[in-house]
Amino acid sequence: MRDKLTPRNIILCLCICSLPWLMYSIDGIEKLLSAYRIDFGWPGGDYVIRILVRACLYMLLAVGLNIVCGFTGLLDLGYVAFYLIGGYTAGILMQRLGVPYWFALPIAMVHGTIWGLLRGIPTLRLTGDYFAIVTFGFAELFFRIIRNEQWLTGIPNGQLRGIPSPSIFGITFDQNWHNYYHILILLFLVVFLNYRLQNSRVGRAWVAIREDEQAAESMGINVGRYKSLAFAVSAAIGAIGGAFIAQFQVNISAPFFEFWESILILCMVVLGGMGSIRGAMLGAAILGSLGEILREVLTRFTDFPELAGSRYLIFGIILILLMRFRPGGLIYKKT
Amino acid sequence: MWAQILEQLINGLVLGGIYALIAVGYTMVYGIIQLINFAHGEIYMFGAYIALMLITVGTPFWIALPLSMLLCAILGMFIDFIAYKPLRNAPRLSALITAIGISLALQNLARMIWSARPRQFPSEVLPSFFLSEITETGKVINAVPLPGGGILPFRDVFIFLLAVVLMIVLNMLIYLTKIGKAMRACAQNQVASNLMGIKTNQVIAATFAIGSALGAVAGIMVGLSEVVTPTMGYYKGVAAFAAAVLGGIGSISGAIVGGIVIGIAEVFGADIHSGYRIAFAYIIMILVILIRPSGIFGKATSKRA
Repeated sequence: MRDKLTPRNIILCLCICSLPWLMYSIDGIEKLLSAYRIDFGWPGGDYVIRILVRACLYMLLAVGLNIVCGFTGLLDLGYVAFYLIGGYTAGILMQRLGVPYWFALPIAMVHGTIWGLLRGIPTLRLTGDYFAIVTFGFAELFFRIIRNEQWLTGIPNGQLRGIPSPSIFGITFDQNWHNYYHILILLFLVVFLNYRLQNSRVGRAWVAIREDEQAAESMGINVGRYKSLAFAVSAAIGAIGGAFIAQFQVNISAPFFEFWESILILCMVVLGGMGSIRGAMLGAAILGSLGEILREVLTRFTDFPELAGSRYLIFGIILILLMRFRPGGLIYKKT
Repeated sequence: MWAQILEQLINGLVLGGIYALIAVGYTMVYGIIQLINFAHGEIYMFGAYIALMLITVGTPFWIALPLSMLLCAILGMFIDFIAYKPLRNAPRLSALITAIGISLALQNLARMIWSARPRQFPSEVLPSFFLSEITETGKVINAVPLPGGGILPFRDVFIFLLAVVLMIVLNMLIYLTKIGKAMRACAQNQVASNLMGIKTNQVIAATFAIGSALGAVAGIMVGLSEVVTPTMGYYKGVAAFAAAVLGGIGSISGAIVGGIVIGIAEVFGADIHSGYRIAFAYIIMILVILIRPSGIFGKATSKRA
């Protein structure tokens, strides 16, 4: 899929781009068939597109987390903090100050980057378990601040309601398929950037740090600078995801950004294979839509729809089994 | 003013005793296999639920407590056997991710079995001295009156004394028995102790069993004074881990001191701002990791060559 305009890739791109159109046409077919009393249980095009948007959003976040976890090999348990910062920065700017989305998005990005760098200052010299724990602590602190500081969000529990949809030349992007193309463009840009980074001097330096930090340092790589860069880029991508979800969900509240969301994104990266961009995207596509698919399937074919609520149980088991039998993930990348 | 501080200090000590019990489980496992056993918080939660279930079906409290300890010890060893043992030689990151996976799975398993509704120990089947109150005539029942009008329930006295007794027993176990000696040897050098004929896997299993049993006691204690929920392991677990880090991970006396410090900090922190109650533990933990990663009692370790 890299850099090549082969027929297969062009067809794939066309398919992805025409998905909303396809979904809505299935809606139409169902309407036609329902006249003949045939119901094949289509959950509705809008609903499916919503799931697709969520899956794409998780792809974006997984690709962002992959920079720190996969490339530099540091276990970041607090990625959700940047997602939160992006979401609330964009949300507050748009809802309370009336800033247009197109300005709020870059501001959120910059804000996320700043915090990524700030968090990097104390954590630069930490490795392994300690890094994981400190990042976790930071994310948890941000979560508490959003929940408790009412002057920031206005309503207790960090609830922010009625975030306006972005608009351009008087057209408001509030439909689900608008959001689909919106996230697709963001995802494309981020993935493109990631591939360029991966294949550059920077990407190679990151991988070198992952493989052996001291050897990398003795080879003349400025470990601190490259790690900071990784934190910054990763945080910026997380903030983009946050800004997107703020306008997509319209109402956001603190439970959106709980610790388990971090773990979920980590699961995606691990499932796909740490350090592989395609792996992260694949993992995100699977796990990001698994919850909704499970709910659909379970309510339709079994008597236990409440099992879908426990999808985290399945995520946990996936993590255990993966580490046991395929620690490299689904797409294993030899280095 | 002073009476209030005294009361909070006592509350902090009681909470600290509970944290110390959980923190010991983290620190012992970390001392031997260098793994942050994220699932430990969930074992503690299961301890509370198992005891709750036993008591609800009519088991006396004094039987439910050891039975829950035993079942949790088995659960701990089982987790070690199925999840951690195959990863002994894998990168540490893999084991850490496995631990997170187990924690996630157990927490949601508990949610499926017992639902997310908070539960309380039924007061009618608990020993009578746990139920303390002040009657209308001002008589204090089952509690020690404190200066300034507060009371110290016998329940809290019991919790603290039990924690102290268990810590003494644990220290005796580690410093006076053969298995304790083996544990200390494994913590120093696993390969060498293996060469000396110590069955390291059994020692590690024993460590998990002891830590889990103590965690179960802590879970029951929290269940007695607060409520039992599937997420209780997550919050208390992380604070207890903070305690272990503060004391110096791998050191048992460090875990005890750290637990009490975190307990007192949390109680006084809650006075300042109740929304940040648990955050004080995190802040202390982050500061300790940044300033003195080896903790109060820990030995400084050199960087991996």
